[in-house]
Amino acid sequence: MNHGDSLIRLEAVHKWFGTLHVLKGVDLTVEGGEVLVIIGPSGSGKSTLLQTINLLEEPTEGRVLFEGRDITDVRSNLDEVRTHIGMVFQAFNLFPHMTALRNVTIALRKVLRLSEEEASERAMQELRHVGLEHKADAYPGQLSGGQQQRVAIARSLAMRPKLMLFDEVTSALDPELIQEVLDVMGRLAEEGMTMVVVTHEMGFAREVGTRMIFMDDGVILEEGSPREMFASPRHKRTQSFLSRLL
Amino acid sequence: MEAIRVRTRDWFADQVPVSLATLALGAAALGTVLLGTLALLLARGLIPHERILRTLTSEAQSGVLYASLAGGLLALVAGAVGYRRMPTRPAREAAVSGAALGAQAVVVAAFLLWFRSGETVDVFIRQFFRFEVLGEFARQFVTGAKNTVILAMAGEAIGIGIGLAVALLALSRRMAVRAPARTYINFFRGTPLLWQLSFFYFGIVLGLGLDVTAYQAAIVILGINAGAYTAEVFRAGILSIERGQMKAARSLGMSYFQAMRYAILPQAFRRVIPPLTNEFITLIKDTSLVVLLGLTFGEREILSVARDAYQETFNATPWLAGAAAYLVVTLPMIRIVTMLERRLRSGLAVIVG
Repeated sequence: MNHGDSLIRLEAVHKWFGTLHVLKGVDLTVEGGEVLVIIGPSGSGKSTLLQTINLLEEPTEGRVLFEGRDITDVRSNLDEVRTHIGMVFQAFNLFPHMTALRNVTIALRKVLRLSEEEASERAMQELRHVGLEHKADAYPGQLSGGQQQRVAIARSLAMRPKLMLFDEVTSALDPELIQEVLDVMGRLAEEGMTMVVVTHEMGFAREVGTRMIFMDDGVILEEGSPREMFASPRHKRTQSFLSRLL
Repeated sequence: MEAIRVRTRDWFADQVPVSLATLALGAAALGTVLLGTLALLLARGLIPHERILRTLTSEAQSGVLYASLAGGLLALVAGAVGYRRMPTRPAREAAVSGAALGAQAVVVAAFLLWFRSGETVDVFIRQFFRFEVLGEFARQFVTGAKNTVILAMAGEAIGIGIGLAVALLALSRRMAVRAPARTYINFFRGTPLLWQLSFFYFGIVLGLGLDVTAYQAAIVILGINAGAYTAEVFRAGILSIERGQMKAARSLGMSYFQAMRYAILPQAFRRVIPPLTNEFITLIKDTSLVVLLGLTFGEREILSVARDAYQETFNATPWLAGAAAYLVVTLPMIRIVTMLERRLRSGLAVIVG
């Protein structure tokens, strides 16, 4: 990483699913320490945009740079890049046949090749971080949605990523379980983690976000500080979107 | 008219005992025809076979058949007419069950009456129920059952190995990788196993003079055939795992194969146990087709033993023994796998459900 390279840089990213044009030329940079919040109506391309950052979705056109390296280059080692970018999903996606502890250690063992003791120690540390060390031996099916999502966060954090991606992580949760997950995310932000967060939680966006973008129909329509955007959205569609939510 | 309807309803309102009587009658009728016939047959002996015919046409058997026919009919009619009018749910259930049992008694009794009236029933009984011929083949049927199990298990083991590998190839994004897998699957699913056995044994093995016995060839061909079906089962199982599982594994830096190995396949394996079981039970029965290859005496599976015994005795009773031998093998398999399935299900309900 050369001095001055952004952590993430998207350049003119397009994504087609067949004939469906989902991302229409997105430029975006994420700097270390930022908490970037992405909002927008469903179908606007937010999740696709998030998944192009770690190339779970490959851009049809354009480049993605991680610390100045072009990771859309076919010769890049994506598996290695992804160890530096954590991702948490709407549907948790814990491995249901593994205990919470094993969910966290599996990649430490098989990808980072840590020893069993090292992996377990680090996993317990991260489970403690999300307040679930007492659930280490529980299977995902025995945990509430909120607990599952916190295990998923611990699983990503255990890789010691430089960046965390959150894809509508509270959307599948019962209302009373949302806060415990938001609390963990808020704490992460305080600790200085770089985060890109797709969310409908406007309270969280305002309190925790350092920057916010509004997406609609595959393009970034507006960008600014969350407080400014909530107070005086410039674009008409941003206005109508926010007025429907607030 | 209306008065009659009301009176019928009132009468039935008090007739809970009628429903119980219907149930008892139906059960008694079915019990009489099944157990009565069996008891008569056993009491008077099955060997020599002439006794079977004598028992079936005896006065006592006539009594059993007509009694159960009448009882069954009565239960059927009473249950069918009365069940809608029964005042409570248990009474209604009893009436329906009584009618069902009665119907079965009628079918069995009617069949036996028809059967024993056949003009050549004596020939049939001599051909199929001459149990005295079985004695000398009992040992051979045990060996046959053993060989059936060996052929099926070895074939299934090969099939699972091939199936898993081919399923992964068939799931490739790349046409060049998918194409050979699809060709293999389609060819072996699309041609009869009987053809495959004869072509690959008589054509390839004998034709090319390979140093392979019929038994070994049978195992390999059964395995290759099972592999095609197993590949489709695995493919469906892998596809049934939510896409998010792969995404989560890849987001942690796992390679495609690591994600398969640690995240996807363990879940897919559990899901495919039921369809894989069905494949296996089918394979057990399909081993009968190796009768075509001409196995040596000690290598013969159940159907070969049955056929040889038939040809030796000019009697068809061994065919019945063959069916019994297959059931002895398949029923415990079905049972074992049901138990296994239940244990997996209770242990990790999330995965299977």
